[in-house]
Amino acid sequence: MNDLTPARAVAADAGTPAAKIRLLCAEKTFQVRGQDIEALHPTDLDIRPHEFMALVGPSGCGKSTILNMMAGLMRPTAGEVLYDGQPVTGPNRRVGYMTQKDTLLPWRTTKDNIRIALELKSHATPRAEAEDRVRQMIELVGLKGFENHTPAELSGGMRKRAAMARTLIYEPETLLMDEPFGALDSQLKLLMLDQLQCLTQHRRMSVVFVTHDLGEAITLSDRIVVLSARPGRIRAIHDVKLERPRDVFKVRFTPAFSEQHERLWDELKDDIIKGTDV
Amino acid sequence: MTEGQRTRPADAARRGRDNILIWQAALVVGLLAIWEICGRLTGADQVSSPSRIIRTIMVWLGGELYPHLFTTLGELACGMAIGCSLGILAGLVLGRMPIVSLILRPIIVGLYSVPLVTLAPLFIMFFGLDLLPKIVLVSMVTFFLLFFNTFTGAQQVDEDYLRTLDLMGASKFEQFRKVVAPATAVWIAGGIRIALPYALVATITGELLATRSGLGFLISRAAERFDMTSLYAVLLILMTIGLLLSEAALRLEHRFLRWRQVAE
Repeated sequence: MNDLTPARAVAADAGTPAAKIRLLCAEKTFQVRGQDIEALHPTDLDIRPHEFMALVGPSGCGKSTILNMMAGLMRPTAGEVLYDGQPVTGPNRRVGYMTQKDTLLPWRTTKDNIRIALELKSHATPRAEAEDRVRQMIELVGLKGFENHTPAELSGGMRKRAAMARTLIYEPETLLMDEPFGALDSQLKLLMLDQLQCLTQHRRMSVVFVTHDLGEAITLSDRIVVLSARPGRIRAIHDVKLERPRDVFKVRFTPAFSEQHERLWDELKDDIIKGTDV
Repeated sequence: MTEGQRTRPADAARRGRDNILIWQAALVVGLLAIWEICGRLTGADQVSSPSRIIRTIMVWLGGELYPHLFTTLGELACGMAIGCSLGILAGLVLGRMPIVSLILRPIIVGLYSVPLVTLAPLFIMFFGLDLLPKIVLVSMVTFFLLFFNTFTGAQQVDEDYLRTLDLMGASKFEQFRKVVAPATAVWIAGGIRIALPYALVATITGELLATRSGLGFLISRAAERFDMTSLYAVLLILMTIGLLLSEAALRLEHRFLRWRQVAE
């Protein structure tokens, strides 16, 4: 019993249990035609273990850049990204990353696309079990009847759902999602939010979720990071104080939700108006 | 009402296609008839005639043709097999290794700039009169066509697919097998289809230069004897082989790459 306390104290010093992912003064500058464009101003950010965090902000505020750095696909120009206290130097295989582009393989059917992670040695799964999990996933994202279609035969929304199923099926401990539900109609979106909430809560995943939809962000998140337009910087971090589990279909009609929405909108509106070419 | 409207253009299209077929058939029959008439009127060996050509082919089909046919097809098959495998392998490897490909580029382009059939005499000197020089020649021709196609395909693999697999924990080999290979398959299939007629040309050219059997040998023997009927007969056989091969290649391509048609 006693042994645990000092161990935990040491770990806390190293910063491990406090943050699953940590940005330390991370900044990103792109070179476009010889010009430096600052996409992300030096930024500090902690994502706690098992936390659902949303990033919201106008276009071009560095949301995708943050995800790319967490996934290890991009190195920060300066500063550091830590995962479990370790610097991220290459592709971060602890995360499942659902990018804006769906990257479904065009020669594979829906079901073969969703299964792909389970075919890899690192997630090796017996064939029968893999088939079983694929079937469950297909049902979960509502693609029943489209198992044998190729991506070109699916609608934009269906492709998004297939991509989500493909990412969720191997149950990564951390999920990075870049506007996963942009192409869905609002009813379907609610169903998907519900499924996503169920899965991530049940598996205790940490999630970083980029969205334009404030309602979506409030419905799902523990905290919402509001970013400002280029160069991206954190403007505010809002705690969402809605009880869990949340009913995604009804939570939007509660006063607490409306109040949260209003506060977020006040934070964002200047930037959004500034960032839009009217 | 709507049904009728929808089927009518399709019907018209089919009738149009039928009409074209009829015209094409009429044209071929007409030309053959003119040839036949000219042949009979002049009686000249150079002109020959369709009926004499058919008679020759029928006689050959009685037995004489087969060893020559098998020689040619054997050379073609062996050469294609070797050239394709090496070309695909080299294309895949170099396509995914930009530095190495930059280093080797001048050598490969230089070699490819040599008209390959001109190497035939060289190969005959090296490898004698039998099957080997033709197989080497066909291999060279198909190697380059397959190499360039595969190379282009392998270079154009969508990096986002590879990144996705990488994050899932796929090894380099798994990324290669699950992304690079299938993405390049379209280019490989196209390369094979393009290479077939070239390979046939290379085989026959090799046989024309020096050989003891094969369809090319039949051509040069017929030419030496001023036997135009036999010569035309071989050409007809070659045309049939060429058509059958390209049709088969096209079918194979479609069967393996059905997803591609949907995507387009």
